[in-house]
Amino acid sequence: MEFITEYIEFWQEKYASVFTYTIEHLVIAFVVMVLSIVVTIPLAIYMTKMQNEKVKSVIFNIANVFQTIPTVALLAIMIPLLGIGFKPAVAALFLYSLLPLLRNTYTGIKSIDPSISEAAKGMGFSTFGRLFKVELPAAMPYVMSGIRVTTVYIISWTTLAALIGAGGLGDLILAGIGYNDTNMILTGTILAIVIALLLDLVFNKFEKKYTKA
Amino acid sequence: MRKVFVASILTALLLVITACGNNTSADGGQVFEYGAQKNTDPKIMGQIVKLLVEDQTDHEVNITEDIPASPQIMSAIDKEDFDIATLYSGEVYNNHFDEDQVEYTTDPAKTLEQAQNLFGEKYDMKWYDSIGFSNQYSIAIKQAFAEENGITTMSDLGEVAGQVTLATDNSWIERENDGYEGYQKAYGYEFADARGMDVALMYKAIENGDVEAVTAYTVDPQILEYDLKLLEDDQNFFPPYDASLVARNAVIDEYPEVAEVLDSIVGLISTEEMTEMIRLVDMEEQSTEKVAKGFLQEKGMLE
Repeated sequence: MEFITEYIEFWQEKYASVFTYTIEHLVIAFVVMVLSIVVTIPLAIYMTKMQNEKVKSVIFNIANVFQTIPTVALLAIMIPLLGIGFKPAVAALFLYSLLPLLRNTYTGIKSIDPSISEAAKGMGFSTFGRLFKVELPAAMPYVMSGIRVTTVYIISWTTLAALIGAGGLGDLILAGIGYNDTNMILTGTILAIVIALLLDLVFNKFEKKYTKA
Repeated sequence: MRKVFVASILTALLLVITACGNNTSADGGQVFEYGAQKNTDPKIMGQIVKLLVEDQTDHEVNITEDIPASPQIMSAIDKEDFDIATLYSGEVYNNHFDEDQVEYTTDPAKTLEQAQNLFGEKYDMKWYDSIGFSNQYSIAIKQAFAEENGITTMSDLGEVAGQVTLATDNSWIERENDGYEGYQKAYGYEFADARGMDVALMYKAIENGDVEAVTAYTVDPQILEYDLKLLEDDQNFFPPYDASLVARNAVIDEYPEVAEVLDSIVGLISTEEMTEMIRLVDMEEQSTEKVAKGFLQEKGMLE
């Protein structure tokens, strides 16, 4: 019981800063997600049409390399280029998010039965018509699951933004670790999980609606 | 084939598990566990303890590094995972005790005494007298910025605070007594912005001109390396963080020869000496073991 009253006290005292951290977290994650979707999905679609296997593997490898750079190293590289705060955090997280979305979208479109595409061609669809009317809807479950996976990753990775002065829930977690405050650690962690789950739920609904129609 | 494979894996697992329970050294003594936080000074202290204990007794010391912060070290001591560590007196103001148990003061002797009593009881360990160096929060700005604006004290910094962004570790902003809130009360001004970040990146940020001030630790060699000026704490705001060795009472009582070694480290290392050792490790990339050995040889405590 004491734990509960203590936790309520924590919220009464800290709700303003918890709110700020949450907003910072959401804004960073949202910008990264939008950037990632806008850049990666067209790139993945383009890659499915690409004949040159070498270029394709180079792109995949680059995305792969970005994901394997140790976080603190990538953030440290960002400081001389972009300074501290929001911009370098978004840039670093964007680079981290490339691979899962790229791979999922690419695999999704590639996995469509070629006879469907051929049939659409036979019916006189143009390349773009085929893409938007046939191929993309068929690949939608894959693309959406790519977006969902990436979103969950990004929400969790955004806690790293706190290492570079961009705030977010990671700030709350790291502050809790240094200041011996379990409530801060717990709150930061739980909020990040809740945000990730909620977004996943929203995308799930969206996906079901879209793929049925 | 498969059976052999499974059997060998099981044997390996068994070996690992039994190895964990086995803490006897080659000379028939015990293996003590030393835990070190992320910073370099507790790591160097670990090597000093290890070198002296292994030189003067039959026991060995195993060092575990990069524990995120002091509170995690303390819980490990509580669980008897660590036997020895280096902790700082100002930790006593770090949300470990109820406010009525601790009296907030910037007096080093009173702070150390409170840490010794309160932590000693809470974790059943001995908190030794200071090693001699202190690693407390302070505020540092670039020399050039200091000269340009005639700043030597933290009060002076208030004149230009409106154009100063402060980079600090993630917890300082949220700390109550000795954190940003208390700082504003003591000095009566706030900075244009205060951003929490990784300590290593904080120095990169001031070097790069992204921020004008950082909350430095007084032993950080980066202060010299990046030509920073530590501001005088003229309102006497930051509490002392005098470094002390701590050891579980059970260990000291059972192994007086180890206690004797730890006693000999009290008052051994000044802040300047520790800063120089950290510089050798962080900037010259020498190993903590080599630096600790060199220091002990110079002091004539090791051949």
